[in-house]
Amino acid sequence: MTGTPAHTRALDELRSSDADRFGGKSAALGELLGAEIPVPGGFAISVGAFEALLEANPSLVAAIDRAIDGLEPGDSGALDRAVDAIGEAMRAAPLPDDVRAEILTRYAAVGDDDPPVAVRSSARGEDGEEATFAGQQETLLWVRGADAVCAAVRDCWASLYSAPAIAYRARMAADDDAPAMGVTVQRMVDATVSGVLFTCNPITGDPSMVAVNASWGLGLGVVGGEVTPDDFLVSKITREVVRRTINDKHVEHVPAGAGGSGTITREVDAARRKVACLDDAQLSELAALARRIERHFGGHQDVEWALDADATVLVLQSRPVTAVAKPAAAAPSEPVSAMAMVMSQFGAGTTGS
Amino acid sequence: MYPYYTLYAEPRRELDEQRLWFWNSQHFPVPMPAFDVVAIDGPYQAVGAWQNRTFAVPPAMGIDYRIVNGYVYISANYVTDPAKMAERAGFFEKRAGHYFSNWDSLYGEWRGKMEALLAEITALEVPDLPEYESDDVAFGDQRISHVRLLEAYDRTLRCADEMWEHHFEFLLLGYGAYATFSDFCKSQLPDIPDQHVAQMVAGIDVILFRADAELRRLARLAIETGVDGAFVEGRTPDEIDADLATSEAGRAWLEALEAIKDPWFNMGTGDGLYHYYGSWYDDPTIPYASLIGHVAALHAGREIDRPTEEIERERDRLADEYSSLMEPAAAQTFRELLGLSRTVFPYVEEHKFWCDYWFQARFFNKVREFGALLARHGFLEDGEDIFQLSRHEVGTALDELSLSWATGGVPLGPAHWPPIAARRKELLARLADWTPPPALGTMPETVSDPMTVMLWGVTPARLQEWARAADDVDSRELRGAPASPGVVEGRARVMSGVGDLSQVREGEILVCTITSPAWAPIFSKIRAAVTDIGGVMSHAAIVCREYGMPAVVGTGRATATIKTGQLLRVDGVTGTVTILDDGPQS
Repeated sequence: MTGTPAHTRALDELRSSDADRFGGKSAALGELLGAEIPVPGGFAISVGAFEALLEANPSLVAAIDRAIDGLEPGDSGALDRAVDAIGEAMRAAPLPDDVRAEILTRYAAVGDDDPPVAVRSSARGEDGEEATFAGQQETLLWVRGADAVCAAVRDCWASLYSAPAIAYRARMAADDDAPAMGVTVQRMVDATVSGVLFTCNPITGDPSMVAVNASWGLGLGVVGGEVTPDDFLVSKITREVVRRTINDKHVEHVPAGAGGSGTITREVDAARRKVACLDDAQLSELAALARRIERHFGGHQDVEWALDADATVLVLQSRPVTAVAKPAAAAPSEPVSAMAMVMSQFGAGTTGS
Repeated sequence: MYPYYTLYAEPRRELDEQRLWFWNSQHFPVPMPAFDVVAIDGPYQAVGAWQNRTFAVPPAMGIDYRIVNGYVYISANYVTDPAKMAERAGFFEKRAGHYFSNWDSLYGEWRGKMEALLAEITALEVPDLPEYESDDVAFGDQRISHVRLLEAYDRTLRCADEMWEHHFEFLLLGYGAYATFSDFCKSQLPDIPDQHVAQMVAGIDVILFRADAELRRLARLAIETGVDGAFVEGRTPDEIDADLATSEAGRAWLEALEAIKDPWFNMGTGDGLYHYYGSWYDDPTIPYASLIGHVAALHAGREIDRPTEEIERERDRLADEYSSLMEPAAAQTFRELLGLSRTVFPYVEEHKFWCDYWFQARFFNKVREFGALLARHGFLEDGEDIFQLSRHEVGTALDELSLSWATGGVPLGPAHWPPIAARRKELLARLADWTPPPALGTMPETVSDPMTVMLWGVTPARLQEWARAADDVDSRELRGAPASPGVVEGRARVMSGVGDLSQVREGEILVCTITSPAWAPIFSKIRAAVTDIGGVMSHAAIVCREYGMPAVVGTGRATATIKTGQLLRVDGVTGTVTILDDGPQS
């Protein structure tokens, strides 16, 4: 690579403090790699790279301005036309040479023979929640080849101007800053099983449990809610499976075909549909991993994970859990004496009634 | 056959129909012999006297029982008037507070009282009625024989009452402290498995495990001294003893066994509530089966010692890990409650050895001496038939025997009692074939009595499971409370009584109404345990966790649904038992 790479960084070089420049997703993956948690390698494209794209393509900026100027968010026909126009302009705009060169070098370092990668948007740290809300979360799986990667990166940026995103910003009107985001490019795991875990039970708020949802194939099914996943509750303390519900997992996402790009959705064969897609040993490993991730970030995390063909667990993404139920009985703010509680148990004492 | 007050009867019918009565098959799995009602009245008098009249637990009085076709149904009495509860709270706080604050010293005194009572029941003399009184009566201060006999009978019954008095002095408070800890854990950690709560509290070196520890030591001794060849699967204790007696080393081993019998052979063969559950002294089948198992395990190179250090480490690790997940204030309360629970728990675990095993075996053997006396005088065909008479009827028979002995007249007893005893034995045999419904009466909205939930595992959800199972008798899947984790498959061994213990084979799954902790030694043979009734704090559950063996308790109808030989899968995590096939022949 010639000169200092300005727009990209290997994921394992990132830390939380880079969230402003590279977006929350890339920064969190860097943190995980720094903590020696198994994460597929890859690289991050900075928020600045998007700004560089706009700078190098005044016509793109003009096209965006034209499309959203005076737009009525309630007019869905006009909104769709604006989204199409911006998408077209975005795909037509050439990447600045230095950005493209950096991406090609980084992509080549991921592996030989056009390795499949996942390309996802990485919203700026403080925008993360808003981005989730506004649907600015593009994920392109099983992307192969340098041109395809560059196109996928532009698709991610285009998601800044998805219909919900435009409508959201129009409603929030106050924000004058132009939107921007980073992109994460990560080696793709050919997952046999994938899913999501929470480092607590989000339903009851129990912090001693890891809640795991899992289904066959790539993770889209679980995240997108297309499949009713297997549902497990695993004790963090002993790693026993405390509860399991095996569901009918009727579809799975798999790579489109040998050497090709993209994914397809197919029916799961009858033999696997109603069979648990994880065994106790794998669940135990996930629980151990969940604990390490929680400890590293010092708070509850929502983690996407996948099992590769060797059944090795890999973490694809981790972000803070924002909505956790509190246990029905809130923790006392002052210690209550054991004797007072025992008295209350028997219907006596000052705390009893 | 049973006292009038034990039956459902017209004058209180309306009230009885409005209450929920559930079959206490944990304590009374088979029809009650008439004499054994002493082991219902004693405990329910004592539990109520402490809970209701002494500690005055604000909402809870005592437990009523009724006998239906020989089976015991129970139902708790509650206080609902707030003013009354407030009045009772005044008593409870002072009195229970005193016990909790002075637990260790009070428990120390308690053991002294139990030792004295055991000495008394063991030494108590049952005088015979001689043709002529001794010179000591004529010239000394010895009292007349029949007075001493009647007094001895009264004293025997009073000793049992005193034992039950001691039995329940601490039990309720112990369970209450534990329940408080358990509830607190669940308030902070809603999904915590019950077994983890129990594991954090359970004692490490409790009496119930010491007897088996001695047997493990003796199994090692047998191998070291080369007499292990005597311990052959299928041999009776007598056959093993006879084999051992033929060699010097064998006789030395028998002496070593003799040396541990007091106190460890006072372990019971059942749970002490029926006359036929003796101690290991009366029937050494269990300790010998255990010795055979331990010797075989050692030959196979398996570790047989309880990993006490590991159990202790794990118990402390669980407590540390769970408290580290709580806010500081909650963690402090958690620590205090755990400390209190660990203080009270030795009593909860150990009282059974002193009371239910040791005392009860001595008590029923004392009653047998009265039975032998009645048989010698023709009032019974066999001394053992005394258990077919109620304790009041035995008193009546002893009165008549005293009278006819004194007068030299002809007693009616020899014509009166033997046919009654014979008829009742037949009746009990027939009642044993009937499977009683788990509950009678009106289903409550909630089950609020912690004893009912903890000890019997009876919750509204469990009652509904039972009701469903009753509708669907072909069910291949049973649900109960997950009491000890793990998933295994194996052949079922259904046991309706303790008599079947020696039939249990290596690798089988034990299916029973309720297991007794005294069966612990045979747990080294089985792969899992399934019971009709029992909560996660029942002793069976504790023993299964100790042995790291899956257990599902409180299934309601396992013994009625499962047949010996069927292949089962027991899931101790979800609490399900699945019948996989109908046996090797199918």
